[in-house]
Amino acid sequence: MKSSFVWLLLLTPLAFSQPAGNPPDLTGVWGIYRGGRGADPKLAAPPASPLALKPEYAKPYETRRAAEADAAKRGEQLANTSVRCVPYGVPTMMSIAVYPVEIIQTAKQVTIVGEAFSEVRRVYLDRPQEDPEDVAPGYYGRSVGHWDGDTLVVDTVGIKPTVSGYRGMPHSERMRITERFHLVASDVLHDQITIDDPVVLEKPVTYTVAYKRMPNTYEMVEFVCDNNREFVDEKGIVRLKVQDR
Amino acid sequence: MAPHSRFPILIGLAWFFAAFPLLAHHSFTMFDMTKQITLVGTVTDFQWTNPHAYIEIDVPDAQGAVKHWSIELGSPSIPQQSGWKFRSLKKGDKTTLVINPLKSGQMGGFLSKATLPDGRVVGNGPGREP
Repeated sequence: MKSSFVWLLLLTPLAFSQPAGNPPDLTGVWGIYRGGRGADPKLAAPPASPLALKPEYAKPYETRRAAEADAAKRGEQLANTSVRCVPYGVPTMMSIAVYPVEIIQTAKQVTIVGEAFSEVRRVYLDRPQEDPEDVAPGYYGRSVGHWDGDTLVVDTVGIKPTVSGYRGMPHSERMRITERFHLVASDVLHDQITIDDPVVLEKPVTYTVAYKRMPNTYEMVEFVCDNNREFVDEKGIVRLKVQDR
Repeated sequence: MAPHSRFPILIGLAWFFAAFPLLAHHSFTMFDMTKQITLVGTVTDFQWTNPHAYIEIDVPDAQGAVKHWSIELGSPSIPQQSGWKFRSLKKGDKTTLVINPLKSGQMGGFLSKATLPDGRVVGNGPGREP
C-alpha cells in the first residue's frame, strides 16, 4: 500500500508533462534530401501545390521573374538580398542549396539552426501564439509548436514583408506559416510547409522539404559574411571583385 | 568529365532545384559554365571565408608574363564536402586549377577542381568534380 503510493507520487509529474506517447527525437543535423536519381521516391518530398497569387500581385511577380530570366540569358544576375549577405529568414532558410539544418529538441523548445548564414529560429512548445499584430515583423517572426501525435506542428507569424518569400513570392504582414515536421523513415524527415496569406494568395500554397540525417560526427560550419566580394553595379547586376596586380 | 558534357548536367540541376536557391549567395550566372580553363600557377593567398572561399593565384603565360587570377569556391561548408580544409593551400604552393571563367572577361572564375600540393584532386562541393 505504502510503496504503491510512492510510485503514484513519482509517476504523477510524468503523466502530466508527457502527452500520449513520447514524441520522436528530431535532434541532429539534417541534410537536404533532393530525391532524384538514386533516391527512394517514397521518401522524396511530394510535389508542391501551385502558387496562386491574386492578380494584382501576380503581375509584378511575373514581370520580375521575366526580368530575371532575361538577365540570365544575357549572362547576368539581378541583385537580390542574399548577394548583400542578408539572411533568408523563414521559410526559405529551411532549404538553401546543399546546406544542412541542425535541430535541437527539448521538452519546451525546438531550436533550428541553418548552416547558410548561421540562421537561428526558436519554436516555443510551452506557450501560446501571440496576436500577429503584436509581433514585431522580422526574419524569423514568432514560432510556437505542439506535438500532434508524432508530428511537430509549428505556427509562425510576424515575417517582415521585405523578407523574400517562397520562390520569391510577395507576402503581407498577415502571412501565416504552418509547418508539419514528420519522420517518414528513421533517418528521413519531412517539413511540410503551408503558407497562407489572405492579402496576397488566392489560396494557401504547400510545399515539402525532405531531409536526411547527417552522420552524428558532422559539425556545423560557421557562416559569417566578412569577405563578401560580390557587389551590385549601377545597373543592378551582380559582379565579382577580382584582385588587380 | 569532358568540358563540353557539363552544360546539360547543370541545366538539369537548375531545373530540378528550381524551387530552392541553388547557391546560398548568388547564382552561377556570372560564370561561363560551358567553358573550362586550366590555370597552373603559384598561390598568393588562400581565403577560407564566407560567403565564399577564394584562391588568389599568379599564373605565368607562355611568354613568361605573370597574370593574376581570383578564383571563387563555395562557402567553406561546400568545398569541405569535397575534402578541402582551411589549410589545404597556402601562399607559395604550386597548384593546378580547372575553372569556369567570368563572362565579363575579368581575371576571375569559379573553381571546378584543384590539384593540391599532396597530389589529391578535389572538387568544389557536391556536383562540382571529381
